[in-house]
Parts: sequence; structure tokens; C-alpha cells
Amino acid sequence: MSRRVAIVSVGQTRHEEFKNDRIYWENDYEATKLALEGAGLDKGQIDTVIASGWDAVDGRTISDMHTCMAIGGYLKDSAHVGEDGILALAYAYLRIASGQFDTAVVAGHGHREISLEVLSKVVFDPLFTRPVGASYLTSLAIQANAYAQRYGVSQETAAKVVVKNRAGGAHNPYAHLKSPVTLEDVLGSGWVAYPLRALDCPPESVGGVALILAAEENVKRITSKPVWIKGISWAIEGYYLGSKDLSQMSSLAAAAKRAYGMAGITRPLEELDLAEIHEPTSYHELMAYEALGLAEAGKGGRLVEEGVTERGGKLPVNLSGGALSTNLLGASGLARAAEAVLQLRGEAHGRQVAGAKLALAHGFSSLSGAASPTNCVVILERG
Amino acid sequence: MTTQEEEILIMPGAWNLPFRHTAGRFASRFFRELRDSQKIYGVRCPQCRRVLLPPRPMCERCFASIDEWVEVGHQGTLEAYTILYVPFLGLPPPPLAMVVVKLDGADTCLQHILGGVDLSDPDKSKEVVKIGMRVEAVWREPRRGEILDIQYFKPI
Amino acid sequence: MGRRVAIVGVGLTKCSSHRTDVTYPELVHEAVSGALADAGIGFEQIEAVVYGSMDPFDGVFAPERWNVDSCVSAGFLNKPFLKITTGGTTGGSVALGGYYHVGSGMFDLVLAVASQRVGETIEAQLVLNTAVDPIYERWIGAGAITIAANQASNHFNYYGTTEEDLAMVAAKNYANALNNPYAHLQRHLSVEDALRTRMISWPLRLSDCCPSSDGACAIIFASEKRARQIAKTPAWVRGAGQITDNYYAGDRPWFHDWDSLAMLARRVYRQAKISNPMDEIQVAEPYVAFTVQELMEYEALGFAEPGRGAELIRKGVTAMGGKVPFCPSGGTLCTNPIGATGLIRVAEAALQVMDKADKRQVPNVKTALAHSWGAVIGFHTMMILDKEAP
Repeated sequence: MSRRVAIVSVGQTRHEEFKNDRIYWENDYEATKLALEGAGLDKGQIDTVIASGWDAVDGRTISDMHTCMAIGGYLKDSAHVGEDGILALAYAYLRIASGQFDTAVVAGHGHREISLEVLSKVVFDPLFTRPVGASYLTSLAIQANAYAQRYGVSQETAAKVVVKNRAGGAHNPYAHLKSPVTLEDVLGSGWVAYPLRALDCPPESVGGVALILAAEENVKRITSKPVWIKGISWAIEGYYLGSKDLSQMSSLAAAAKRAYGMAGITRPLEELDLAEIHEPTSYHELMAYEALGLAEAGKGGRLVEEGVTERGGKLPVNLSGGALSTNLLGASGLARAAEAVLQLRGEAHGRQVAGAKLALAHGFSSLSGAASPTNCVVILERG
Repeated sequence: MTTQEEEILIMPGAWNLPFRHTAGRFASRFFRELRDSQKIYGVRCPQCRRVLLPPRPMCERCFASIDEWVEVGHQGTLEAYTILYVPFLGLPPPPLAMVVVKLDGADTCLQHILGGVDLSDPDKSKEVVKIGMRVEAVWREPRRGEILDIQYFKPI
Repeated sequence: MGRRVAIVGVGLTKCSSHRTDVTYPELVHEAVSGALADAGIGFEQIEAVVYGSMDPFDGVFAPERWNVDSCVSAGFLNKPFLKITTGGTTGGSVALGGYYHVGSGMFDLVLAVASQRVGETIEAQLVLNTAVDPIYERWIGAGAITIAANQASNHFNYYGTTEEDLAMVAAKNYANALNNPYAHLQRHLSVEDALRTRMISWPLRLSDCCPSSDGACAIIFASEKRARQIAKTPAWVRGAGQITDNYYAGDRPWFHDWDSLAMLARRVYRQAKISNPMDEIQVAEPYVAFTVQELMEYEALGFAEPGRGAELIRKGVTAMGGKVPFCPSGGTLCTNPIGATGLIRVAEAALQVMDKADKRQVPNVKTALAHSWGAVIGFHTMMILDKEAP
């Protein structure tokens, strides 16, 4: 029987378009300091730190030489996952569950020193896919289109996801984009890669997020509002777009199934109080509903049409505004987890679900879009 | 000799990844001071009181934010070095001495290069470059607000 | 110490300056197949994958995406898959990742894979340069060799170590590599030969420096229950850990003592209940990218007093046939697919414990040590493997 692990504190910066007064890892530092202060801990009480993100995004190979320092890793046992920070959360969970560590800092950042589109091209192999223009966005667009065409999902339905999430951002003091948008705004925004219009795609945001995890024996000492990791799983998908069913997010379905199993969840739509889903595009939020078992295949659109996932709906999704309001490249998933934790602690001011007890957080870790993404699902429970 | 069926093709590739790196508050001030006042600054950690060079926003040992700037000397002590004898892409041609210098008043050292010495004979270089020797910054004119405004360090 | 975890299978690839015979996924598949065959298990039994590579040497950033299905069809089967990347310690960090995956109790069989294709890069130094902070230090081209050269020139200055001492390390490791079918550099190199090679970054000569290699490595970690079912002689993890020193080399210019490694060694030895490494460890595979580092590792790992590492090489203590052979595989000095190298150290240590090291086997090995370093000589990983479960 594994040790229980809880998240005992959260820190995040305000997220913005640029933060040029700081080097990228200062975002990790600020978020970590906030998390430590919030828990009344100093870095001496932390056993291990896990940094996250992609070196090429940071513009520095072995970027963790800096980020580990920024999150309290000096002379500690640290690691770095070359993934979205939600996978750092997963790794920290494993480390604490193993019994070898009692406390962990997990942090991530978004920064903008390079264009994601330009960078993503070099993730694709130079033999078959890079020469034909494969990139993060084009692969997501191909997937979105496969889904939309197979199930007849309209642009309007996808646009409603954007309207919903941007409304959420407007209520989130940390969000990057704080102005709501209308359906007309979305449908009037220029084409990027069919079927994606500009507003179907997340922005690029700068900021930092940090979480502190602790083993159950330590939790009571640290906080009266622990958030327990009740279930957690992650899964990767195949690389070649031509070798898989693009109309579904199979790795997300696999991760969700395992996470639900761990958490004893059989009817997620009924049992969850809220979800924070990392949507790389508006269409992907609809696909995520299906992969998460909230809707049948092809029917994700209904949840948004019927207001099920709206604020005040049966299962609000992305009250924080989601990635469509704040997109930290390398930490959007971790940010979803942070938001879910704030909800369960009753600290999601302006966007709070009353009495939230059980939440789902999801992260989409990929620089290569729909090629080999890793999806991570965390089920969190108020302590 | 490979036949046509066995021929292995080698495909060329290159990454052209343009970046814009912000220097942030700390490095920006450090470079501005080099450029505008020909001064070298370190920063002091409020807890351990060490003067850190190059300047940075936090002390990783104390996990403390830093906001105290301390001017350090243009002279210092050579703590470590090596001499390159083969060409390295993007660097001045060999022989090139790379050094680690503790400037007077700083608690940590700057990485830089040594100039104004004859390093052509590896055996004789031991006489010319010594750990513990005193060195001084030689400035580039005009100064541009980059680390190479200190062109090199020379023995004194 | 937590749940018992053991290594039950190891896969290595032949390393060379450019494995033109294989694409990246094929290279990884070679290592993974080797590990599965060594363990005698089918690919579907692997429950999770941990992958490491040091981007961006390979000309493909995040190559694990392209390689995903070479790792036991993880993409097709939607397995848990985690990318870990920590510079030169990547392979060592991947081993730790595999260990903690199983140690958590969540997985019984985990595949750890690390790969590097430096051969796809035309100028590796340019890539290494991107590790240096672009604001203050990148112009200086301070790659790994100049930092190691600082270590060497300081070790000479403070401890009287000589170029001959370094050449002896080179000669020993090159001789050992001749016994290792997977090694990259396989040639005869005497002390005299070594001293005649050209000076690169004083005092390091070409023979003091590791090559850049293509290669991959895979290791299967198992829970106690599965380990006892699968392997005749599992290699039990008796101690494991990592340490992170700060980034700026100028913050710790005492290059002659590797204090971060000494600190880590103390912690891991305490965990493994080892008090006298010279008597309790029979073989070591630390990360010797540059000859001087082997001497510094003798000292930091507690096999020699500070400054007296050279005595061990002069007296043959660490040669094959000596009391504690170091790098029987030839080590990093002869084979360096950078992101994979740290995992290869663990693999070689495991092979020694499992009595599967063929011509490079050290007799009567009970306990073996593996180590890797990375970053600006500020990261270290260590793993101690043993025939006995802790």
C-alpha cells in the first residue's frame, strides 16, 4: 500500500505576455517562494525538488542547472523532467510514495524567448515529417479536423469552448488574458491552420507555478487544508499521425482510466465537482471530455452546448480560464493542477465552486502537438 | 564497397533557432554600469553576506532575494585556468587562456580570458600563468554593454 | 530504505562515432531488445518507461517522441512514459527514475532507456556551448573540456599530480575497453602514446578526453517479487541519490576538490551502510569523461585521501587485477553517448554484480558503484548495486 501524498501549498505568479525584467527561472523562484511562505516552510525542510520544462524553450541546454537553484535545489537531490510541469508532479509523487523523501517542491514556468512553431519543427524527425512542414500547430490542426469531420462538430461548438474559457480568465486574477470574448470574436478571428482560427489557439504566457507535496505523516504539521492525490496516471501516444485514430485522445483515455481506477471513480460526470483541463486547442477540450469519459465519442460538444461545463453547470471545466486564457509553455498542465488545488482549498477567489471536494486536473505534455503527446490526469480530494 | 541497394543516405539538417534573451534587471544593470560608468558591480546576499559575481536576483544557498549592489575592484586574483591549443568554433584563435578570476571585493569569481601574455609554448606557459597571480581588467573601447567590454584580464 | 528494487536486465548497443546503419528509433530498439532478451521477458510486461537524452545533440529535440514505440510500443499501448533530462547525468537520473518508479509501489517492471546520437551533430562543441548561460558566459565557449582542464590544472597545482598520472589513467581505460565489445574507442594506447597526443586545453591532451559517441542503453528495474521470478542474480539497489550544486563554476573555483561528489557519496554510503568503500566495494564505474576526473573521483568517493588519488593509479590499485578495478568497461573515456553514458555506468555495474560482464568481469563482485556527473561539474548521481537484497 503506497504512502498517501498531499499537496500542501501552491504558489503562482501573475501571468503576463512578457516579463522582461526577469530571467525565465525567476518565475520558478517567485512561485516557489510563494508556495514555501504559504506553507510556513523554508527550503531546508524540502527533501527533493523537481524542475520541469524544455531546454530549447528556455534557450539553454541543461536549463535545470538554473531552475533547480531557483526552486530551492541547492545541494539537494533534484531532478528535471523534460515535460510539462504536471509530469514533475507525477515524478515527485513517485519519489514521496517510495518512502525515500517526505517533502518535494515541484515547479514550472512559461517564458517566451522563442517561437513555439519554429522550435517544434525540430522535434519532428528530419527524414519523413520535418521536410513536409510538420509542427506543433499543424499536427493539432490535423487532429482537430479529423475529430470535427468524423463527428460533424461545428466551428461554433468549438468556439463556445473559447467563450467559456475566456469568461473564466476574466474572473481569475492570475490569468494572462482577462478580457472575455464573444462567439463573433472567435468566428471572426483569422485562420491559422484550418479548422483552427486564432482564438481557437491558446496565447503564449509568461509566469511561474509551484506546488509543495508532502507525505501523509507530515501533512497535518504543515497545513489544515491538504489536497490529497487520490489518483494519478499518465500515458503517451504513438508518433506518426498516420498510424493512429486522430479523432480521439487515446493516451488521455488510458491515463484517465488508470487514474479513475486508483481513485475509485466510476461515474466521473457525477462524482467530480470540477475539472481543470489543459486544452491545446478549443477542439481538444471537446475531445478531452470524451477521453475523460464525460461524454461518449463524438458527443463532447453537447456538454458545452448544454452548459454542463459552464460556470454553475453540473461539472464546471476551466473556471480558471484554462490554457486559452493562460498558456505557460511547459507548465500549463501544472497550472491546471494548481488551480484545482486552489478550488479544493476554497481559495479560488472570484472563480470558486462552492463546497468543491473532488477535482480532476489534466496536463498535455508535448512540443510535437498530436505526435506522441503525454497526457497526465490527477484526481484530487479535499482533506 | 556498398551497392546501390545498400547505400546509406546522409540527410543534411540544421537548426536555425532565433532567440531573444532578456538580460533581466540584474544583468542589464551590470552591463549598463560596464558601459556607462566603467564600473564592475556584484550583489550582496542579505543573509550570507557574500558578494556574488555575476549579479543575480537570488542567492541559491540562502534562497533569499537580493537587492544590494556592491562595486568591486578591477583587479583580482586568478583562481583557475586552462589554455586552449586547438581552435574552438566562435572563439579567438589559439592559444587562448580561459581563466576564473576573483575580483577584489567579490566572493565568487568571473569566468573570462587572459590576454597580453605569450602562451605559444605549453611548457613555458607555467611561468607565465600561475594560480594565485594578480590580474587586472583591460577594457574595450567603445563599450557596448556586454561582458566583453572587459576585453580580457592581464597579469599585473 | 523503502521497497527493494533490482535490475533484472541490461541492453547495450555498439557505440561508434556515427552509427550510420540505424535511424534513431532503430538504435533505441537495439538497446531495448537487448534488455528484454537479457531479462527473458516479453515487451508487454513492461508497465512504464523512463527515457533520457541530452537534447539537442541529436539534431532532433525531444527524440523520445520519435522513438516512443521502440520503447516496448509505449505509444501504441498508451503506457506511462516520462522524459528526464539533466545534462551529463541524464543517464544516471534515468536510472534513479526507474528506481523510484518501482520503489513507489505503483509499478513492478519499468524500462529505463537513455540514448544519444552525437554523431548526427557536425560540431558538438557548438551544442555544448548552448548549455552556457547566454547572458554572461556563452561567448566564452566554456564547454566541458575547459572546466575539466581547470580541474586538472588545479589538481596539478595543489596536489602535485602530473601529466604522467593522467596518461596512466588513459592507458588503463583504453586497455579495459579492448575487452568491451560495445565500446567506441578500441585501440592500444600506452602511457608514452598518450603523452604524445596533442594538447587540447592545457593540461588535457587528446588522450585525456572522451570521444563523442552514438549509442543507447536500456535497463529493466523490477520489484522484489518480479525480480526473484525473473533473474537468477538480480542486481539489488542498495543505495541511490543525486546532488545539485550551483550553476556558476566561478562560485566554487576550488576545482581540485570535488566536494559536491564527496557530499553525495557520504549520503549514499550512509544509506547503503558502507563505511569503508575500499574494502566493501569490489568494482566502480564512475563517469570519467576526462582522465583527471578519475583521480578526483577516487578521492571524493573515499577510496583515497584528498589529493592522493594519483597514488592509486601509480600503484595499480584500480587496474584490472587490482584491489578495486575502476572502469573495467573502459568507461566514459572510451565511450561517451552523453545522455546515455550515465545509464551505461549503471548497466556496467549491474553486469558486474550479475556476473554477466564476460571478458571485462571482475572476479568475486558483490557490490558495485556507478556514478555520473553533469552540468558545470555540479550534478552527480550515484547508485550502489549488490548481490544481496538490502
